Amino acid sequence: MTEFMQSNIEREMAVYGYDSLVKSHCRMCHGGCGVLIYLKDKKIAKIAGDPDCPINHGSLCSKGLASAQMAYHPDRLTFPVKRIGAKGSGRWARISWDEALDTIAERILDYKSRFGAESIVMGYGTGRENEAAIYRFANLLGSPNVLTAGHFCYGPRIATSIITCGTNPIVDYEHHPKCIMVWGNNVVISNPDCYKGEPFSNSVKKGAKLIAVDPRLTRIAARSEIWLPLRPGTDAALALGMLHVIITEKLYDHEFVENHVFGWDAFKERVRQYPLDKVEEITWVPSEKIAAAARLFATTKPAAIQWGVAIEQQITCADNDRLLMALMGLTGNIDVPGGQVLFQPPKVRNVGQFGAHRMLTDVQRDKRLGGDRFRMADNFAIINPKCVWDAILEEKPYPVKMLFFISSNPVITRANAREVYRALEKVEFMAVADFFITPTAELADIVLPAATWLEMDYIGDYWKRHGYILPRRKAIQVGECRSDHEMLNDLGRRVGQEAHWWENFEQALDWILEPMNITWQEFKKMDYLRGDVVSQKYKARGFSTPTRKFELYATVLETWGYDPLPRFREPPESPYSTPELCEEFPYILITGRRQPGFFHTENRQVPWLRELHRDPVVEIHPDAAGKEGIEEGQWVYIESPRGRIRQRAKYFSGMDPRIVSAEHGWWFPEKNIPGRGWDESNINILTDNRYETCDPAMGATSVRTLLCRIYPVSESEVSHG
Amino acid sequence: MDKKTLIIDHFECWGCKACEVACKQENNAPDGIKLIEIVEDGPRMAGEQPFFEYHVRVCRHCEDPPCVAECPVAAITRRSDHMVILDTAECTGCEACIDACPYDAISFDEANGVARKCNMCSSRVNQGLIPACADNICLARCIQFTSTFDST
Ligand code: SF4
Ligand code: SF4
Repeated sequence: MTEFMQSNIEREMAVYGYDSLVKSHCRMCHGGCGVLIYLKDKKIAKIAGDPDCPINHGSLCSKGLASAQMAYHPDRLTFPVKRIGAKGSGRWARISWDEALDTIAERILDYKSRFGAESIVMGYGTGRENEAAIYRFANLLGSPNVLTAGHFCYGPRIATSIITCGTNPIVDYEHHPKCIMVWGNNVVISNPDCYKGEPFSNSVKKGAKLIAVDPRLTRIAARSEIWLPLRPGTDAALALGMLHVIITEKLYDHEFVENHVFGWDAFKERVRQYPLDKVEEITWVPSEKIAAAARLFATTKPAAIQWGVAIEQQITCADNDRLLMALMGLTGNIDVPGGQVLFQPPKVRNVGQFGAHRMLTDVQRDKRLGGDRFRMADNFAIINPKCVWDAILEEKPYPVKMLFFISSNPVITRANAREVYRALEKVEFMAVADFFITPTAELADIVLPAATWLEMDYIGDYWKRHGYILPRRKAIQVGECRSDHEMLNDLGRRVGQEAHWWENFEQALDWILEPMNITWQEFKKMDYLRGDVVSQKYKARGFSTPTRKFELYATVLETWGYDPLPRFREPPESPYSTPELCEEFPYILITGRRQPGFFHTENRQVPWLRELHRDPVVEIHPDAAGKEGIEEGQWVYIESPRGRIRQRAKYFSGMDPRIVSAEHGWWFPEKNIPGRGWDESNINILTDNRYETCDPAMGATSVRTLLCRIYPVSESEVSHG
Repeated sequence: MDKKTLIIDHFECWGCKACEVACKQENNAPDGIKLIEIVEDGPRMAGEQPFFEYHVRVCRHCEDPPCVAECPVAAITRRSDHMVILDTAECTGCEACIDACPYDAISFDEANGVARKCNMCSSRVNQGLIPACADNICLARCIQFTSTFDST
């Protein structure tokens, strides 16, 4: 893109004496940005954005820029280790890759023969683009249990969009929406899932009108025409209220509704139950504002909803996603340029095929943990984490004997962290693959050194729905680190799966690309591949759903025994659902506000990134702070019925004084003590994971909205901390 | 001589701090020293409107720089191409410039006992390259580098 000025690459190389340049594809978050890696003496000397990449047009975020500091970090695990002391003792011995993989393979085969393959749970967190390989391994093994973030992050969007309209509708920033409703998302900081802040920012510059749905005044909210600061956890009610306006004022796309929607009358009837006065009461947002937002969104074409994970980490998870899709659909913004497009991937073998889901027998699939309770999750091979902890701690419905976490730090990221910790302490055998010895890895028997994105060949964005794939090219080797894909390829061959893996992982990439008639070596020379972009595909072939229509009324949910129509559920802990508790814990706690530089639990040890944000910070309104005797910058306790943690208070007047907003993902790699402070500021010490508090279909844990009290940490305690 | 300028559009800044890290990568300033820093303005009410903005705190390379005037050892100079350069080798660490700067753009580097500020990546600019923070890093391209002929 010549539109943006960037230093000349040859000049850059000449001036600094760099030897070579590798173009690659970053994955410090969910991945996505094209990167220039400048090397000198085989070491990375500089990272910059690739101006030719259609995803980021040369821009790059703080994490991408600091990638090499992570890769070369002195604390990085660079060879396999086995634990020689008690769990959590931090005593390790170096072992060879062969010993590590043979030990893991031996355990796997032993547990499989004695307790069934289902006693082995594979896991990943947000996924380092290793998802398909992990599912492949588990499915071939015969274990239906892959524990991911999928129950409450992105998985719900995939599951609900498949049952509503066939695939995930992605905002088409290339064709600049004229109105963008940003719903519980800070895309310019978080670059979530299929999105990057850069194209969003470009569309805003082109004049897109903004509507922000957010309890907090973000910069996006401050730039919006309309800001709807809703009561946390009431998204579904707000969406239903907007739909009420759109339907009663007949602002919907009549042609779309008449010809392409299923369940219109029943849906209308459901929406009728949410008149604006009721919605105002639930959401704390004035009805005039809701109506104005609904009108602006429905009458500006094309319009899009920038959505993300916040609405999914609630008891109303699946229905939140479905309601936002209803808003996209009814306003005629599905699969139109500048709206929300059902992009088609390039015609390679897809992640579902690579994941080998067909190889799992029905008998084994029926054993998926929690499958009878969370039916939608089950149908998308997703499990609720508590089901795993229960299977370890109570051995119900059967014992889980082994965990293998690849890029996951569940003692920090999963709800009810103390229970997670107990389960990991108890489990008979645990292997972990990661960059560092995290608080989770501390409890492992074997830890494998994982390669960062700089150290691997792979097909970037293979799993995404924006229609691109981009080559990730290996630039460096660090120690004995290996990519998760290579490691699983090797391990698979050691547990009897050799017929389904390859001699080396490059052959797997060839296999994925084969339908396009190209090899990895050929793809490596390309900038990217993109699927065909065709608008309004549904006009010719309908939507890929059971009724071939856009299902406002989800027929499969009905088959699975759920309400086929979306509705609002009060958060399990709130001033209305638990008024007595609210007397003791009077503030609504929201969690997970994103910070530049961090990706969930990652990067706290990377100097350039930690410098951006040193401490965990809880935002509190100055009025509330005054009432609680809290000073700006002071360490405070945040306490829920489950426990207490501390973060540093920051005054923030851009939200209702009844709300406090805390960060997630915190541990302290710099603390040279067992556990590395895993329970000091970890938000999941406070969260709940009881099944009743989870989304009934998807099993999403409600980690975003709970009740808390907040008070200063005393002077003496600070000095001991 | 071409006049070198950093043009900053604070309004467009989203607060992502990529520019801070781009600066670190180029200049490797010691921990805690930020030659460029994003600061928050707000939240507050601006009339009826809730207000919240980010501002980019960085040396403005002033036309008539008070830091140059205040420095007793002439460690800060304004070049003919309008770049204001602080030479840490000449700096005695008296901190006069820090007090003089109206933009709070100079920091004190305790470890080395010198003042530090953005020199507009002079080593890059001298070689025809763009300063790190302005080098197409920013998602909103808030920071732009221009080199225009100065007819004065
Ligand atoms: S947004 Fe994600 S992919 Fe892009 S540079 Fe940042 S970490 Fe890398
Ligand atoms: S990179 Fe741009 S948007 Fe991000 S903080 Fe810097 S000036 Fe602001």
